[in-house]
Amino acid sequence: MNIGLSLPDARARFPALVVAEAEPLEEAQLLTRLCDWCSRYTPLAALDGRDGLMLDISGVAHLFESEAALIEDCRARLASQGITVFIGAAGNPRAASALARFSQVKTAPEPLSDKVFVKLFHDLPLAALGLDEKTVADMARAGLRRIGDIALRPRSPITARFGFAPMARLDALKGLERSSIAPRFRPPDFCAERRFASPIQTVEAIEFQLRKLADNLVVLLERQAKGARRLELSLYRVDGEVRRIRIGASRPLNEARAIVRLIAGRLASPHEDAIDAGYGVDLMRLACLVAEPLAPSEAELERAHEAERALALAELLDCLSARLGARAVTRRELIDAHVPEQAEAAPSAMLGRARLRGEEPDKVVEAAPARPLRLFARPEPIEALAEVPDGPPLRFRWRRILHDVTAIEGPERIAAPWWRHTGAPTRDYFRAEDSEGRRFWLYREGLWGRETMRPKWFVHGLFG
Amino acid sequence: MSPVGRAEGMARLRRVIARIEAESGPASERVVRRLPLVHAFDSALGGGLADDALHEIAPAKPQDGAAAMGFALALAAGFLNRRPASALFIGEGFAAEEWGALYGPGLVAHGLSLSRLVFVRAPDAALAFWAIEEALKCGAPAVVVGEIWSLKGYSLAASRRLLLAARKGKVPALLILASAYGQAERLSSAAETRFEIAAAPSARIPAAAGFDIPGPFACGARLIKSRLARAGPFVDADSPSKDGRSSKRPTDSPSEDGRPSGRPAVRDQRSRLQTHDVDRVIRLQWRSQDMTFKDMTFRDIGVDDQAISLPLAAASGDRSRAAARPRR
Repeated sequence: MNIGLSLPDARARFPALVVAEAEPLEEAQLLTRLCDWCSRYTPLAALDGRDGLMLDISGVAHLFESEAALIEDCRARLASQGITVFIGAAGNPRAASALARFSQVKTAPEPLSDKVFVKLFHDLPLAALGLDEKTVADMARAGLRRIGDIALRPRSPITARFGFAPMARLDALKGLERSSIAPRFRPPDFCAERRFASPIQTVEAIEFQLRKLADNLVVLLERQAKGARRLELSLYRVDGEVRRIRIGASRPLNEARAIVRLIAGRLASPHEDAIDAGYGVDLMRLACLVAEPLAPSEAELERAHEAERALALAELLDCLSARLGARAVTRRELIDAHVPEQAEAAPSAMLGRARLRGEEPDKVVEAAPARPLRLFARPEPIEALAEVPDGPPLRFRWRRILHDVTAIEGPERIAAPWWRHTGAPTRDYFRAEDSEGRRFWLYREGLWGRETMRPKWFVHGLFG
Repeated sequence: MSPVGRAEGMARLRRVIARIEAESGPASERVVRRLPLVHAFDSALGGGLADDALHEIAPAKPQDGAAAMGFALALAAGFLNRRPASALFIGEGFAAEEWGALYGPGLVAHGLSLSRLVFVRAPDAALAFWAIEEALKCGAPAVVVGEIWSLKGYSLAASRRLLLAARKGKVPALLILASAYGQAERLSSAAETRFEIAAAPSARIPAAAGFDIPGPFACGARLIKSRLARAGPFVDADSPSKDGRSSKRPTDSPSEDGRPSGRPAVRDQRSRLQTHDVDRVIRLQWRSQDMTFKDMTFRDIGVDDQAISLPLAAASGDRSRAAARPRR
């Protein structure tokens, strides 16, 4: 039974023949669909003639343990779709095509030694070279029927008689010339895919897997500092259908959430049909068709650097706290209280920044009275000369040094919290500067006449 | 960017930089950013305070400790402004007892933001030095301010350790030697600059009756020591000043254009330092709104602005007149 036999002859040879009318258009469409489906194995899938497909599986076989396993998987899946295939595998497209169509042994080892070449190819008919029919007929008339016939003959007479094609094809068969296939779709630069042992059917499962795919793709993109402008999600169903969803973005995307949101938006739009999983999807691929370089902005780099620095700071604080004690390493926090001693708290720095109330920058209120840079834990008593009842100090002696006051601001009256009933005396705070330029925060304790007859003076803090 | 992306981005940039450095050789010149102070000091400082060196501050008299701390805090605020990191204040315990602990509301009034400060209290000077060195080495803070009371453990070797740690981590260190009254000129250390700070009267706000109101923080500063970088270009993004205005005498040979590198440049810089008057006290006023120092010495002439014409500046920078003006 050969291709090219006429119908009566075929009927004569095989009475129980089933005859169906040829539909070349539908066949071509079927072939295209099969090619698209076969892109699940490799993105480099091309049509080979009118009845074949060419797949470039270099580097893909490791996903299937071996080439033989891949071939078997392909044959099984196509058989389950009702299509019988002959699959040939070799180191170059021409040899694979020849093996698939004309040979019993379907796989050629790589690299191809001369002995193996002789064994595999020399018996194949000349049509395996892919020559047109006229040349094949001419060569048959000259007595050349098999590849072995022309392989062992000198090249120049054959070239002179039949043209360049036969020897060129023979070189391609041997792999002496590099030949590549023209895939139907350009292979994407970045793609992430997932295979499922048992096909998934629900939309939620598909969306879940989509999120994971987006995360993987984003990692690939970020390694090269690129963002995706056009993406394609391909869902390969077990029954041979492929559903592709394409989205485009106006700026390079490198965030998984944004990608998922766009694809979900596309699916939800009225122009797209809902995903019909059929009997299940067993391969999902998210490919980036167009990627553009994504220059990280200054701000992002600065933030990355800041994050690293924050980590280093936290480690430093831990180290210091361990050696000096947790209470020795503190931050300061403002508390809204009248009494100056209570106006700040010193939480331990190891508690982290969460304890700090209000992350906004502390505003310096111009009208608020100034507070000293340094505060004594216990105010130091001084001897001061001041007018009664509540005049500012004119001169005071602190730590045995006499200071002459030349500028003063005050008084600021801070009374003890009356709701506490402690009866602590009222304080009148003064900001005093002496003739040398030193600034002190003094206070008089006790109102003259009302609380005490002998008010006492203290220095509570030092300004800069 | 996702955290993975940020980490990948940083790693990729590090690889690129390593490749560039491998091709062109390691960067032997120290490229520092400098914090400009005031016009008068910047020329001797080489543009400003270096970003990765040790700077010392000593008070002039025992009661000037608070002024020294105020000056150091102002410098720290300037450094904090440049980097989005935290500042560390490491103090020996005795200094806090003697002069009081740092007070939050006061720090806010001085221009510092409390959320970016961490305070460390060390029980003695040795631990304080250890803490300062650790903080400098890790490179995380924007500035480290240390207040040391006891100078027993502070020697050339100790200061050199701190300097190397600052260089390694690229963090400036401001060290207040609280008990070095009057010894500023006699100290020997590996610090890059040393200031002596004295208290100075502030710009008073006139009041209607009675005394005037004290103004913002002011102090008198003297640049005792400035050890400039080795011959080589320094990168200074912000300094507006070129030398030649503040302290050059008319007889000095002009050495303004930056020679690329080599001995002549060092000699010029050294000669520039020698023309800087070590005894000259600059009265500085700190403006916490702009985070800048203002040189108040020109107030005597009755001009508030520093940008005055050259002859007047040359005349006022004249050494003899500066010495004759009484220290306020």
